[in-house]
Amino acid sequence: MSAVREEQRETLAFPHVAWFEALARLMNVNRARQEQLGYIDCSVVFTVSDGSADKLPRHFKVSFEEFEAVDVREVDAAAALAADFGLEASLATWRKMIESIAAGGGRPALDQTLNYLSHMGTPLTLVAADPLQSDLYYRYNQSLQEFVNASAAFDTEFPLGR
Amino acid sequence: MSARVQDMSPLPIVANLDDEGLAQYEANYTSRFKVWAEVLERNVENIHRGSYSLHWMNTDKANWGKRAKPSSRGMTYTDINRIRGYGEVPDKAEWFNFAPRGAVREPYRHEMPVIEEYTVVDKGELWADNIITLYEEAKARQWNATRDIPWNELEALPDDLEKATCQLCTFLTEIEFAAGDFPAKWMYRIPQDFLEVKSFLATQIMDEARHQEVFRKRAIAGGGLLHAAPGFEWALTSILNAPTHTMGTFLLNLLGEGLVLSIFRSGEMIAKTHVDKEIFRRCLQDEARHVSYGVLEFKNYLDTHPNRAAAEEQMHRFCDIGEQVVLSAFVEPALIEPIAILLGGGLKKIDEGMGGVAHMWRMFIQEYLQRCKAAGFDRSARCTIPTEFPWGAAA
Repeated sequence: MSAVREEQRETLAFPHVAWFEALARLMNVNRARQEQLGYIDCSVVFTVSDGSADKLPRHFKVSFEEFEAVDVREVDAAAALAADFGLEASLATWRKMIESIAAGGGRPALDQTLNYLSHMGTPLTLVAADPLQSDLYYRYNQSLQEFVNASAAFDTEFPLGR
Repeated sequence: MSARVQDMSPLPIVANLDDEGLAQYEANYTSRFKVWAEVLERNVENIHRGSYSLHWMNTDKANWGKRAKPSSRGMTYTDINRIRGYGEVPDKAEWFNFAPRGAVREPYRHEMPVIEEYTVVDKGELWADNIITLYEEAKARQWNATRDIPWNELEALPDDLEKATCQLCTFLTEIEFAAGDFPAKWMYRIPQDFLEVKSFLATQIMDEARHQEVFRKRAIAGGGLLHAAPGFEWALTSILNAPTHTMGTFLLNLLGEGLVLSIFRSGEMIAKTHVDKEIFRRCLQDEARHVSYGVLEFKNYLDTHPNRAAAEEQMHRFCDIGEQVVLSAFVEPALIEPIAILLGGGLKKIDEGMGGVAHMWRMFIQEYLQRCKAAGFDRSARCTIPTEFPWGAAA
């Protein structure tokens, strides 16, 4: 049975909008869990600072409303600024976090949580125009952590050699 | 019996405060509250006569007939406040009893009691534009310290790390008591017309109760509570003693909880078990709501004050003291040393950890000043807390 399940696992490329869409789908399917965690009302831009083939930034905006991720899209740098806040890191940082989540079966190692990585401003940087917007990151932190933890439900493929 | 014993004067009789209080209560209702006696008598007579009143079915002066409709979230305060007659929050409260905003109450005003303890009567002293959002969010994001933390996964830590964790939890237990007492103290001073604020403060009290509960449980599950500290106590008492609701809210929600939010975020980062991570992550979410209220309540206070310059100057005077007293918690060895040990990874690495404390200090001050600025209050030139952690500065 486990072999069958292994075969059925989806593989998604990171960084790619489909990868974030899969997280949104998983979040919305698991509504009961979101209702336990509570409302999440914010727009977040996940930036991979060297995410493109020529190592330029790629931005993925996810809009959350009530208990759902209602919109996912790749945006340009200007549109990224319109989000409530952003989380920005290199591909290597995102990769390490995603692999840690996968290895932990949906729970990252102690040093690979969003807050751990962002708390000192590096390697993950919280970007917000004002403190009320950055406080949204804290207000919804558990929901955001579980949003990325859901990546354990599928396999992630990274650009070759990076 | 010796003469010495016989000559001793009897112990003073301890005044029974309950008796005095009860006597006052009796006196009020038997002779002072004449209007109350008339209301009671009239209604009892009606009962005896078998006479209906049905005056309450008269909708002439009621905001009657337009039904509130729920939004996708259910029926929120915003949804019912859209109905005419219910959502107008007064700039100055004039009802000092429990008569609900939007009910027919004017005809009964002369027969209603006045609650003298309702002293925070200006909207400018308590309102925040995000209050309804925060209240709905607070209800939706409640959690249970008994059930939602994976307690059975708690692992024993090396002695130094366990003691540091338990000391940090002791500090957090100590401060959360005051963080609940402060809104409780002021909630009782706020008239019912500001029901949205009272509702939010009720969630803050619940949040703080849960925080003291979870940290107490964590400490006792890990070895025990360790040391209380006078520096914490002075900081906490200064919050309870704040002369106005806005000043106290500034000190608690904007400055104090801003600091605690930094500690919770650091706590999540330095946690040595998944249990501790979950505790800190849950708590920091609640704390960020309280900080958000603090920022926008303060902004509303300044924006609506008839003499903004004077209000700002008064707040600067208050901050000159308030910052220093809150600082007395942040320089307690019972706080910074356990954090340094957890940051460094053990007692032997406490010096390395102090580097992390310095970073945390800098970040906390920057965030505090940014929050002041977001509220429209530039404190950067007058902040009395050093922007850099003065560890070893005199060495």
